[in-house]
Amino acid sequence: MKIVEHGERSDSKTPMKSNRRYANTMLMLVAVASLCAVLPFTGCKSAGPGAKQLSLAVNSGVEGDALKQAARDYESLTGVRVNIAEFPYDNLFEKEQIDLTAATGAYDLIMLDDPWFPRFASEQLLTDLAPLFQKQGQTGPDEDFIRASIALCKHPYETGATFALPYVGNSQLFFYRKDLFEKYNLKEPATWDDVLTAAKTIDEHERTGSPGGGRVYGYVMRAARGNSAVADFMPIFWSFGGEMFGEDHLRRFPQPAVNRKEAIDALKFMIELGKYAPNGYASFNASEVSAHLLQGTAAMSINWPAWISAFSDPEKSRVAGKMNFAVMPGARTEGRAEIGNWLIAIPRACRNADAAFDFLLWATAADQMKKSALAGNPPTRRSVFTDSELLAKFPSYPAQLRSLERSRPRPRTPQWNEIENVFGIFISRANSGELTAEDAMNQANAEIAKIVERNSR
Amino acid sequence: MMRSLGKNRSHAATVRGRETALPYLLIAPTVAVLVALSIYPLIYAVRISLQTGSGEAARWSLANFTRLASDKFFIEALAHTFIYAVVALTFEFLLGLGLAVLLDRPLRGRSLFRSALLIPMMLPPVVVGVVWRLMLNPDFGAINGTLKGAGVNTESLTWTASPVLALASVIAVDIWQWTPFMFLVLLAGLQAIPQEPYEAAIVDGSTAWQTFRYVTLPLLKPAILIALLLRTMDLLRVFDQIFILTEGGPGFSTETVSLYIYRTAFRFSDFGYAAAMSFVLLLLTNIVSVGYIRLLQKQEAA
Repeated sequence: MKIVEHGERSDSKTPMKSNRRYANTMLMLVAVASLCAVLPFTGCKSAGPGAKQLSLAVNSGVEGDALKQAARDYESLTGVRVNIAEFPYDNLFEKEQIDLTAATGAYDLIMLDDPWFPRFASEQLLTDLAPLFQKQGQTGPDEDFIRASIALCKHPYETGATFALPYVGNSQLFFYRKDLFEKYNLKEPATWDDVLTAAKTIDEHERTGSPGGGRVYGYVMRAARGNSAVADFMPIFWSFGGEMFGEDHLRRFPQPAVNRKEAIDALKFMIELGKYAPNGYASFNASEVSAHLLQGTAAMSINWPAWISAFSDPEKSRVAGKMNFAVMPGARTEGRAEIGNWLIAIPRACRNADAAFDFLLWATAADQMKKSALAGNPPTRRSVFTDSELLAKFPSYPAQLRSLERSRPRPRTPQWNEIENVFGIFISRANSGELTAEDAMNQANAEIAKIVERNSR
Repeated sequence: MMRSLGKNRSHAATVRGRETALPYLLIAPTVAVLVALSIYPLIYAVRISLQTGSGEAARWSLANFTRLASDKFFIEALAHTFIYAVVALTFEFLLGLGLAVLLDRPLRGRSLFRSALLIPMMLPPVVVGVVWRLMLNPDFGAINGTLKGAGVNTESLTWTASPVLALASVIAVDIWQWTPFMFLVLLAGLQAIPQEPYEAAIVDGSTAWQTFRYVTLPLLKPAILIALLLRTMDLLRVFDQIFILTEGGPGFSTETVSLYIYRTAFRFSDFGYAAAMSFVLLLLTNIVSVGYIRLLQKQEAA
C-alpha cells in the first residue's frame, strides 16, 4: 500500500513540475498581454506636422455618413489616411467632452452639435482658426456661408473668434397638410393664432378623415422632457416675446427670465394647442411625431428638415406629396425657428492642426457640401441652397433657406445641457397636466437660477 | 556528498519558496485587475466627490454632499427609486413564489411552462424597453388596441405619458421581466428541500396551508433571502428599461437615482456631484444588503 502511495506521489511530481512551468509561462503571457493592452492608452502618437494621418470623431447618422464619405474621397485625393471614430449622438458628446478635457489629442477633428459649442469654446478646448486662415492667405470664413450658421461658430456668439466651421445647416420648419388646408380654405399659417384656428377646424371635421379611417389631430408635438419639449416650445416661446435670460443676458452668468408673463403666456398657448394633439403627447419624441405625420393622423407640426425626404416617399408615407414646409409662424414678434447645425472643429490638443484645417476647408467647400446635400443634409452655404440641381431635387430648399437665415440659436451658455434638462422637465410637466403654466415656469426659473448660481461660484 | 546535499537543500528551499510564492503569483493578475478596475476608480470617485471645480480650479469641499439635501430632484428621484423597488419586489416575490410552488408539482406540460416563463428574463432590458414602449403607445400600441377592442374607453389610459400611470407602467414592465428570476431561484430552493419533513407533516395530519407555512417557508428561507437580496440590489440601481421606456418622463415622474446620476455625469459633466450621489446610493444599497445578510446568518445559526 505504502509503496503504491509513494509511487503515486512521485508519479504526480512530474506533471506537477511541468504544471508549474506551464503556470509560469502562462503568467508571463498574461503579463505581456496586459502590457500590450495598456500600451495603446499611454498616448504614444507618432503624428506630427505634415502627418499622413488624421483622426475624426463623427456621429452615427446621415450627417456623419456624409463626412465619412468626404473623408474617403479626401484619402484617395491626397493620400492622407483619415481614421474615423463613430459614436451615437449622446456618446459622441461624452467622448468629446472627456477627450477634450483630458487633452489627449486623440481626435484631430470633431463633429459637434451647435449647443455643445459654447461649453467647449468657453473652456478653451478648441483651436482658434484665425492663424490657420492667415496661413492660407484668407482673413476668415468666406461670405458664402449663411450668417446665422457662422455666428454659431464664434465665441462669444456672433462677435468672437472663429473656432469651427458649419457643416450641416438644419433649422426647424413648420410642416402642414396642404390638402386639408385647401379643403377647409385655410391659408398657410402666418401666426400661431392661425395655427390654433386651423387645428380646431381640422380636429372638428376630420374625426374619421385619416387614411386608416381614424381621427386626424389638428397638431402634433414633442413634449417629452429634455431636448424634445424645449425644441418644440422655443419657437412659440420666442414669438410670444419670451427670453431665457433677462436684460443682463450678455453677462457671463445672467439671471433667467422664464417666469415673466410672456413666457407663461407662451406655455399656456402650447397647452391650448395640445388639446388638439394626440393623447400622451407629453411623452412624445421625434419617432411618435413622425409616426403620426406619416400615418396621416396629424395635420401640423414643427419638425426638422431631415424628415422631409420620408414625406415624399410613398413607401413610408401615407400622405406623400400632401405635406407643405413653411417658415415658422409668429405671434407678438416675427416667427423664428430654432437652428441646429452640425459643426466641425479642431480640438486644441490636436497635434496636426495644419493638416486638420486643410481637411476642414476641403470638406466644407461648396462642391463637397453639395455631395453631402445630395445625401440629404441641408447645407450651410447660400450657393448650395440655390444650386439648380439641388433645387430640383429638394423643392423645400427656398423655405429652408429663409428659415435658416432668420433662425435663432438656443441660448449660448456653457450650462445649456443642464438648463435644457430642467426647462424640459417643467414644460413636459405642464403639458401632462401635472403643473399649471405659472407653477411650471416659476419652478423652472428657480431651478435655472440655481444652475447659473452654482456655476458662477 | 555534502555539496550535493547542500545543493539539494537549496533546491528544496527554492522549491518551497516557489510553492509559497506561487499562490500569490497566481492571484496577482486578479488583484491587479481588481485594483485597476475597482479600487482605483473608487478612490478616484471619493476624491472627486469631495471636490468642486475641475483641473487647476478644483477645491476641496463638502459642497456636493450638502447640495444633496437641498436638491429637490435628487430627493424625488430617491423616492421614485424606493417606490419602484418596494412595489416591484413585493409583486415579483409573491408571483415568483406562487409560480414556483405551482410548477414544483407534477403538472402536465410543466417543462413547457417553466421554459416559457424564463423568456422575459432572457431578453436584454433594452429590447424589453423598446417592445413595451411600442405596446404601451396610447394610439398605436397593442395594449390600448386590445382594450379598445373589448369596449374600454382608453382616452385617459396614456400609460407612460401620464404622470399618474407612468411609474406604475414601468414597474409593471419590471415585474413582467424579473418575476421569472424570482421563480427560478425559488424553484431551485423548493427542489432542494428533502421529502422527509413533508412525509412527517402528512403523518402528523397537517393541512396544505400548515405544511406550506411551517415546513416549506422556513426551509425555503435561505433561497428567499438570496433572491430578495439580488433583486433589491438590481432594483435600486435600475436604469436601462426606464431609460428606453420614458427617459425618466413625463416631467420627472419616472426618474430614478441611476438616471439622475447618469445625466449629471455625462450630460452635465458634473462628475463630482454624480459621484456624491453614487455614494449615497451605494450606502443605501449596503444597508439593505447587510440587513438581508444578517437575517440569513441568523437563519443559518438557528
